[in-house]
Amino acid sequence: MFLEQRARALAVHVVLVAYSALALGPILLVVMNSFKARNAIFGSPLSPPDSSTFSLIGYAKVFRASHIFVYFENSLIVTIVSMGLVLLFGAMAAWALSEYRFRGSTALALFLSIGIMVPIRLGSVAILNMMRTAGLNDTLTALILVYIAQGLPMAIFILSEFIQQIPMDLRDAARCDGVPETRIFFEVIAPLLRPAIATVAVFTIVPIWNDLWFPLILTSSDSTHTITLGVQQFLGQYITDWNSVLAALSMAILPVVVIYVIFSRQLIAGLTSGAVK
Amino acid sequence: MSNLRVEHLGKSYGSANVLIDINLTVENGEFIVLVGPSGCGKSTLLRMIAGLDGVTTGDIYIGDRHVNGLAPAERKIAMVFQSYALYPHMDVRKNMTFGLKFTGVAPAERERRVNEAARMLRLEPLLGRYPRDLSGGQRQRVAIGRAIVREPDVFLFDEPLSNLDAALRVSTRVEIARLHRLLGATMVYVTHDQTEAMTLADRIVVMSEGRIEQIGKALDLYYAPANLFVAGFIGSPAMNFFPGAVEAVDGGTARIVGAGFEPLALPADGLDPGAKVTIGVRPEHLRIAGQGPFATSGAVELVERLGESSFAHVRRADDKMLVVEVRGRETPAITETVTFRAPLQDIHAFNASGQSIPIKGSSH
Amino acid sequence: MAEPVPQVVAQMPKAKLIGLLALFLGPAVVIYTAFSIYPLLATMQLSTFTGETGGGVHFVGLANFATLLTDSLWSQPFWNAFKNNMIFFAIHMAVQNPIGIALAGLLSLPGLKLKGFYRTVFFLPTMLSVVIVGFSWNLILSPLWGVAKGALTAVGLGSWFAPWLGLESTALATLALMSVWQFVGIPMMLIYAALLNIPDELVDAARVDGLGQLRIFLHIKLPLVLPTIGLVSVLTFVGNFNAFDLIYSVKGALAGPNFASDILGTFFYRTFFGNQLQLGNPTMGAAVATVMFFIILAGVCLYLFVVQRRMRRYTF
Repeated sequence: MFLEQRARALAVHVVLVAYSALALGPILLVVMNSFKARNAIFGSPLSPPDSSTFSLIGYAKVFRASHIFVYFENSLIVTIVSMGLVLLFGAMAAWALSEYRFRGSTALALFLSIGIMVPIRLGSVAILNMMRTAGLNDTLTALILVYIAQGLPMAIFILSEFIQQIPMDLRDAARCDGVPETRIFFEVIAPLLRPAIATVAVFTIVPIWNDLWFPLILTSSDSTHTITLGVQQFLGQYITDWNSVLAALSMAILPVVVIYVIFSRQLIAGLTSGAVK
Repeated sequence: MSNLRVEHLGKSYGSANVLIDINLTVENGEFIVLVGPSGCGKSTLLRMIAGLDGVTTGDIYIGDRHVNGLAPAERKIAMVFQSYALYPHMDVRKNMTFGLKFTGVAPAERERRVNEAARMLRLEPLLGRYPRDLSGGQRQRVAIGRAIVREPDVFLFDEPLSNLDAALRVSTRVEIARLHRLLGATMVYVTHDQTEAMTLADRIVVMSEGRIEQIGKALDLYYAPANLFVAGFIGSPAMNFFPGAVEAVDGGTARIVGAGFEPLALPADGLDPGAKVTIGVRPEHLRIAGQGPFATSGAVELVERLGESSFAHVRRADDKMLVVEVRGRETPAITETVTFRAPLQDIHAFNASGQSIPIKGSSH
Repeated sequence: MAEPVPQVVAQMPKAKLIGLLALFLGPAVVIYTAFSIYPLLATMQLSTFTGETGGGVHFVGLANFATLLTDSLWSQPFWNAFKNNMIFFAIHMAVQNPIGIALAGLLSLPGLKLKGFYRTVFFLPTMLSVVIVGFSWNLILSPLWGVAKGALTAVGLGSWFAPWLGLESTALATLALMSVWQFVGIPMMLIYAALLNIPDELVDAARVDGLGQLRIFLHIKLPLVLPTIGLVSVLTFVGNFNAFDLIYSVKGALAGPNFASDILGTFFYRTFFGNQLQLGNPTMGAAVATVMFFIILAGVCLYLFVVQRRMRRYTF
């Protein structure tokens, strides 16, 4: 019986390890080969770089030929600002919807939640026209505004769930204490929404960082490209230059992986706590 | 400090009446306890006084100011919540002073009040700590401190001891009583525990199903309950009730008979033959070798021994259970059939609608 | 907590309440309406116009839709894209979700060691951008590099290898599987979270009753997470019919070979922005977008009114 249990546990691990190899394999392959000289990439693709095959030629090319740091900076600005404003506006809206209810409150909540299902991309035609008219074409601001609109519905939904968890005695105590309404939100309610940040982040940051569509449509000049778009165009341009291609891919992969590994616990806790409706 | 007046107060949620015609006057400096079972409306009444729940009908006056339309912050009240409601991300000092900033109290004055309250509640070493680092009893004291610094006209307590363990409950109860003597403040206190009510209150308001059943001093309620509900609610273990009816009336005495007791000659007026009467006697007033006109007997089924007193659970002739307090080491044996008697002054009688029937020659 | 509106709010002077609502709801509602709802409505409106040479537009009612659905110049690529999108979706439903469920089931087994490690690893591909995924797999599957070929040869399946991405018959399926590889983490995580919610006592009771782990999973855990599976399905549907990034980054706007991997997203992009073969056509593009919106709406409504209503949601 015990042996059977052991065998079963082993089988489970075999399956999981196999899938892990499938999940990690391609990534490791790309990163590994980005550090090798060209003939080593083709000659022995599965072996890691050693002293004879190690080469940074691809990376050098990437730095020279593209503005990868500009792209990275753009992505960072867009993602962080969008995330911050989604959190702020979303929390304020979620609070108002749950606290300052009025006759149209439920209708408004429903209106805002439509965005979770309806893909914002379909309105791109009009968005582009709006941006052109407003003179925001080819700016990071345009991207930020679009991403905020995209991220708000889900954020409001998640934050509403978290607000339900806050004991309302605190709000009553603050009111008895004479605290003004706006201060109640910013100084009593908002600090207690800190656990929600992880959940909102998972659903907001990743789609924004990895988005190809809106940078493609809304940004035309190289200096406003995000890293996803920048890498994609670089790849298209240097498609036969395997060193550079692998290096560019690795440079796009590594920051994400590093951040992910560092914050994986919070990220996954955020996903599992907020996702179950 | 000031008084509190509640006049013809009613509260309904749709068709559900939660409070019905509540009338109450609390004098300046009085400690009033609202007590009753869950759902009786005591917390709702408290929250309406605070301004956290709205008034459906009636009026509330704090210090002769009509406060119905005023927000909680404008009523000069302070509330201590059952869950303490301390701001988790602020330390104790900040918790206590947070509200004061917005009521225009100068920093120097805020400091003075916090230090004064901290001294009163022995919170001085805790001022820099956060709520998560405090025990339940400490948190409760901070919550009380937060109320004190507001220097309100009325203090409101919403079941503040319910979340504490038994021992802590007793010591905090004493603290609150001491605080009341120290501050001389008007306090309205809600609890479901009649022991807290009896020990803390100047006057007790017994509530049931949205109505006030009786208002009075603790001992008045104990010795002279106005109706069945109050009689059964105050006193632990609860009063024993014996259903019966008037067999005959002879002059000023009614002969009451019932399955659970021997026929009783009750000196009372206004009773008609056939009228339903419930006799009530407290467990502590029945004696094994006792004197008195009231007698009941039965077989002892269980004895709970608590030390100096024990409680015998007896199955009566009408198959209901009787609880009797027995003092001393000699307790009745199980299955022993025993007769218990009670004197006239310890007998209570209630009519068909549950109202107390005055007994001649007795204080109630 | 307070089911009716809190008294303090109910008693607040109207002006103050309106001010608070404007402050708290204003920014979110304005940005959302301006950049999410309005563009969608404007696009739908645009779809009822057609462009003139010279730059203006005039109203043509539903003519664009008729053209799109029936005029062979437009309808042939449209229905091709639609068909491909359905296949794309079917592959996801058949592969991504069962694998996600299975992995979630394995991860939720009591006493599993290295749970955190596996969770982190399995979710990693989802974090990567589609560009990375597309290109990396493109390289790996490329006959030039030979990695995939070599790997298959090593397990004796060398004859299976073909330049799948380049063949009309297999390009779409290959791309779908690449997408599955990337996104399996999402159903996995959502179902894993739902499985965590099942009280341990239920599982313990089943074990005392003598059920093995597989039976417990199939008969107890799975039925209890059906609502989440339903949610995952509708999210997959919305995501697939919105998909664009992967196909574009691997195959470009033309979604070759010979439009074999063209789905609605790429069709929309091409129609609106044009490419080397055709001029951009905003009004037709708007029509395509409108049709896509209604397809997605139909799927969501199907889910909300048919599936969700039938499904019983158990609370613990």
